[in-house]
Formats: sequence, structure tokens, C-alpha cells
Amino acid sequence: MRRFGLAQLLMLAPAHALLLAALALPALYVLWLSLTESSYGSASSFVGLANYLALWDDRYFWRALGNTLVVIHIIIYAELVLAILMAVTFAGLRRRRLLVSIILMPYAISEVVAIVIWKFLMDPDVGALARPLMALGVAELNWTTDPTSGLTLVAIVSIWLHLPFSFLLIYAAVLAVPHELREAAAVDGAGAWARFRHVVLPTILPTVLVALVFRYIIAFRLFSEVWLLTGGGPARSTEVMALYLYKQAFTYANFGQGAATGWVMVVASLLFAAGYVRLLQQRSFARV
Amino acid sequence: MFRLARAAGVLVVVLWSAAPIAFAVLSSFKDNREIFVFPPTFVFVPTLEHYGDLFRQWPDFAGTLFNSLAVALGATLLASSCSLLAGYVYARHRGRGLAASAHFMVAIRLLPPIVVTLPLFPLADWLGLNDTYAILILLYAAFFVSLGTMILKATIDGIPGELDEAALIDGAAIWQVVWHVILPLAAGGLTAAAAFVMIYAWNDYLFAFVFTTSRAKTAPLILSEMMSSLTGVNWGVLFAAVTIQLMPVLAFVWVVQRWLVAGLTAGAVKG
Repeated sequence: MRRFGLAQLLMLAPAHALLLAALALPALYVLWLSLTESSYGSASSFVGLANYLALWDDRYFWRALGNTLVVIHIIIYAELVLAILMAVTFAGLRRRRLLVSIILMPYAISEVVAIVIWKFLMDPDVGALARPLMALGVAELNWTTDPTSGLTLVAIVSIWLHLPFSFLLIYAAVLAVPHELREAAAVDGAGAWARFRHVVLPTILPTVLVALVFRYIIAFRLFSEVWLLTGGGPARSTEVMALYLYKQAFTYANFGQGAATGWVMVVASLLFAAGYVRLLQQRSFARV
Repeated sequence: MFRLARAAGVLVVVLWSAAPIAFAVLSSFKDNREIFVFPPTFVFVPTLEHYGDLFRQWPDFAGTLFNSLAVALGATLLASSCSLLAGYVYARHRGRGLAASAHFMVAIRLLPPIVVTLPLFPLADWLGLNDTYAILILLYAAFFVSLGTMILKATIDGIPGELDEAALIDGAAIWQVVWHVILPLAAGGLTAAAAFVMIYAWNDYLFAFVFTTSRAKTAPLILSEMMSSLTGVNWGVLFAAVTIQLMPVLAFVWVVQRWLVAGLTAGAVKG
């Protein structure tokens, strides 16, 4: 093993330079921005926590926070349950490679493309999926005027786009459950549910945690689906955090409040992921 | 009974995953009346009129495809080379400082992309980087260099260190070791790292939306313009554009699937 020296430092430099320039320093600058009053092109002045207090008083902020929390929890847990169900059901199949390829397809699709397709399928007047659903009386799909329908469609599109990711992670873990373990349980007379509950689930639990962390972090970013489907409307009723941030900064030229929203987002997603992430870091970097 | 339920499950999952995409692709070949026929038809006389209309009505479309490709290739090259170098160091060396910098790489990835647009937009404006390939390449690479590094660390962990020792003793410089010894053996990990950033850069909407307006406009951005066109959506043309945008990346995912799956599990578990 060679000593760590200048060559190694130079090899680490590009990756770190990239992260510092594009992520870390801008994030710190956002923290400073959140404590100042400024808009694009004008000089800034220090205002302490005024921007955060302004958020506290803004009912649209609370609405965006509420929408975000409700929608991402629906997305994450629906995805998790579906992914586990699919992984367990398909693990024993033949020709499963082809099946995995098909399940993976939405992973290749841009958010914009997904919105185009689902917007058409769910169009209340012409949608090939909306029409039978409405005929069956399942739902009123006036998602342009009804916030709940709008956010439901956002959740559906988001689940469609990200299910391949959750599925792949959990599927790999299910495949890795030792076959002897299940057979031993079966020999001992455990039924399908008992085998899942006491053999499969405990083994895949660490991976489920990983998938949850990843999904929390990614789900908090939810922007394009909402922006392109409802634009946050009607009357700002379907805004989520990222959209609220964008509007504060770029529509209302209120960079300070936008920046404060950014840090609330960071802290909120950290709080949710913190416990899991800590656990993971201890496991994976113990040897680095 | 179980077999029947499982077969039904397979059918539902296949329809859920593939049918929306197939629907868009098929619709792009239907004439304007056929597109709206309910229930949707599967047998029809295909037409290429929407593809012709697409390039007539949206002359910029071809240019945005080229922009997407240029940005995706640039970001892939940048992120993969940075990841290879850093991944090599993390795989071959241990230490407290290194562990801290690895933590930094993982933690910084939690940052929502929208947050960095706030300070970067005026800064890029000031530097004259708005509406250029450079700003998009930089951002896409930055958001995937952590995952790439972790994938390559995991891959290079599996390559015996004696190989580089032997080359070093023979007088090779360290960059020659990385280029001639590590690179060929880490090709699988490199493919995975490259594929993730490639797909992301080709498909991204948010950064293209904030940072580009005309010269560097990417395909997803022009698709969103077609969708919210004030003169009413021309669904046939839109489906033709969607088909052209999604076919290459769909084919790409099928080709690199093996490495994606391996990379995803390695990257996720490691970082």
C-alpha cells in the first residue's frame, strides 16, 4: 500500500472541487441569503430571522409544507408496499430477467414525458384511462380545478417514475435471502405469511431502510410533476415546498424568503432521513 | 390459485410499466382523429404526418435534441473521470481525513437541486454561463459524482492491490496505473456510474428550465413548451416529439441494465 501523498490529493481534488463549487458553497451562500433582505440585482441587508418569521406567518408556506408531507408520504409508502409485494411475488419466477427489464422502463422516462403521457391518459374529456374510471364512478378527475385530484395525479405519476428504483433495491435484497432459510422454515411448517414475516422481512429490512432514506431525500425535491401538471394552482392550493421556493425567488423576486424555504427543506429532509443515514454511515464507512 | 394470482400480478405490473409508453409511441403514428378514438385502437393505418409537422412547426426541436446529447455526453465524461480518480483513492487508502471527505461526498448529495439554483442563477448570469452547456454539465456532473465515486470505490475494492503495486514497482506513474491497469478492470463500475448521469442529464427538466432559454435549451424543456402551448396542444406532434426523445434513452437503459442494477445496489448500500 502506497503512502497517501500529493498524487492522491490531486486525484480527490476534481470530485471535491465539483461538489464545493456547485453544491456546498452555494448551499452556504443560501444560508447567508436567508438571513438577508435582497432581490435579484439589488444590494442586500442583514435582517436576522425575519425571512423565517415571514414564512411562519405565510399560510401558503404552511399549505406547501402540508402538501409536501402528505404527498411524499403517500408516494413513499405506496411505493414501498408495491415494491416489496412485487419483489416477493416475482423472486421465484422463471424468465424474470425480461420482467425486470419491463419494470425498469419508466426509469428511462423524463418527468416531462411522463407528465405528457399521464396528462393525456387522465384527461377528463378524452383520456383513455379517465373515461372508464369516471364511468365506473371511481373518482371525479377534474384535476385542473380540484386540488385533491391534482395532487393525486402528481402522486400517481411520481410513483410510476420511481417505483423501478424502489423495486430494484428491494428485489436484489429478496434474491439474496438464503434459499435454505426459507426451506428450513417451510419444513418447520411455516406458512407463506409466516415465512415472509419471520424470514424474508427481517433479512431485507436494512435494504428497506436504505430505500426509504433515498426516497425521502428524492421525494422532498418534488417539483417538475407539480409545476407541469397544476403549476401550483388553482389559487396556489397544490404548491409543494420546491415550488413555493421557486415562486418566492423567481416570480416574486423575494430571494431571502426563497432561501429560507431552501433551508427549511434541507433541515426537514435531514430530520426525516437522519436516523437512518447515521445507521448507514456507521455500517458502510467503518472500514474507509 | 397462487399461480393464477401471480400471473395476474405479472400482467398488471407489465401493463402499468409498459402500457403508458407504448400508448404514447403508438399514438404518434395515429392520425388526428384516431388519437382520440375510445376505446384506443391497436390496429390502424400508421401515418408519419406528425413527424413531418413536428419539424415544420418546431424547427428548434432538432437543435434541442443535439443540445441534450452534448450536455449529457459532457456531464457523463466529467462525472465519470472525477469519480474514477476519487474512487481509486478511496479504495486504496484508509484514514480519518479520507473517511471525513467520504462523509462529505455522501452528505452533500442530500441537498435538493432547487436550493442551489437560488445563488447559482445570479452567479451564472454574472459569469455569462446562463444558457450555456457549461453550467448544465457542471450541475449534472456535480449531482452524480458522489454516487459514481461510491460505485467505483466498490468496484476497485474488488481489484487486487498487488496489480497496481507491481506496475508501480516497474516504474509506472500513478496516472498510468489508473489508466492502464484500473480503468480496463473497472469498466463495469464505470459503465454504471456513467449510465446514471447520462440518463439524468438527458431527461432533466429542473436545471434546464432555470438555466437555459434558447441557445442551450434541451429537449425536455421544448417538450414542456409544446405541452403548454397557448394555441392549444397538438397531441399528435407532441407524441411524435415524446417518441423521439424517449426511444434512445429507453434503448440505452435496456443495453446497460445489467450494470445499472449492479451499480444501484452497490452504490445504495455503500453510500
